[in-house]
Amino acid sequence: MTIGLKTYRELCHGCGNCVVSCPVNALRSEEVAGGKGPSDDVDIIMIVEDGAIQLKNVDLCGKCGTCVQSCPVNAITLEEF
Amino acid sequence: METTEIMDGKNITLERAGEEDRTLIFKNDMCAVCGLCETICPVSAIEANPTGAMIRTEQDMSKIDIDVNKCVLCGMCSSICPFQALDLQINGDSIRELQYPQLIKSAEIDNEECIHCKACETACPQDAIIITRELPSRAELITGEIDIDKETCIYCGMCEEMCPVDAIDIEHQTPTSDNPVVATDINVSEDICVHCGICKRICPVDAIKQVCRICPYGEYEISEPEINGNSYIDPELCINCTWCQEICPVDAAKVTKPFEGELTIEQDTCQGCETCVMVCPCNVLSFPKSTKSGLNAEKLHKDERFCIYCGACQKSCPVDAINVKRTQINYTPTKSKAWKKAFESLKQ
Repeated sequence: MTIGLKTYRELCHGCGNCVVSCPVNALRSEEVAGGKGPSDDVDIIMIVEDGAIQLKNVDLCGKCGTCVQSCPVNAITLEEF
Repeated sequence: METTEIMDGKNITLERAGEEDRTLIFKNDMCAVCGLCETICPVSAIEANPTGAMIRTEQDMSKIDIDVNKCVLCGMCSSICPFQALDLQINGDSIRELQYPQLIKSAEIDNEECIHCKACETACPQDAIIITRELPSRAELITGEIDIDKETCIYCGMCEEMCPVDAIDIEHQTPTSDNPVVATDINVSEDICVHCGICKRICPVDAIKQVCRICPYGEYEISEPEINGNSYIDPELCINCTWCQEICPVDAAKVTKPFEGELTIEQDTCQGCETCVMVCPCNVLSFPKSTKSGLNAEKLHKDERFCIYCGACQKSCPVDAINVKRTQINYTPTKSKAWKKAFESLKQ
């Protein structure tokens, strides 16, 4: 059994809480650590694209659950695959 | 001799009958997902799930998976688990009670030394400590006299309303033509009264006489208060973190930790996600508040006095900002090379 990130784009409001709360993202991008989406093409786990969450580099995920806790609408979860 | 797996919610039981009946029991609630069982398992039968995900998010799965086809029910996982989450039983007896190598760890409170202040009970991160105490009545610690002149009293009820210990009782009533009074009686309980004097000072008609004898005569009439109590550490819940030992004002608690080592935090790498703080079963980690505006507090604070070096924080950190190094494993002597090797393999 493995556990990993799963997103529900239909629930997502595109607030970006998950993007900026993710410690991996914050470490990889100063812009994200500062509270906004990246303006360059830095590799981070997820971004908001077309108004909703989009996973980009899930292999970087440490499965800490910070994004899950930050999401106001349960649009991102850690689930069993 | 086939091993069977029984799931009871998130708890796991593995059973194998034979010359010896062996049963491995996993209690999900007790597990801190430190991964030591996964590391020590000689046949790679255990997989610990992601620590942060298991502690911070709701999951239907158990914190660890045990592969029933690989597990040989050797008991190494039970011996190493610092949280008593795993227990191998042989013919119904826990290997913690049998002649198997096991971690040397202990925690005890000397009831003779203990003053029953409850600091340890409050601090214990696992709620493993119960302190019971019986305090003397307040009346035993004061001395004084109080008297209410019922002739003068107008039964206004101010004293009753203001008494901090509810020692005054008035028999109120609605006046009737045959008994046109607002109350029939007033009494003060001398067992409850603490001689604070509030009733005397609020009384609008000076009906109350009250004196505290401590002021003029001193405390010689009062004997040393007797505080009886008892202290108890639940051995199933205790994880030997030493919070009780460190917080005890009279050194009544003694704890032996199963591991010694070193905990290092890379402050520049830490992004303050709080996963480790929530994961640590020993409350070693916390976020300090800035003491002065504009002053950067330490990002993540540790107090290694409480650390048992289980490694759960390191395993949970998504940015590898934490390193747990075990330098000593305290275990009972064994002649078995395999067990020795297994225990020693947990050192870094």
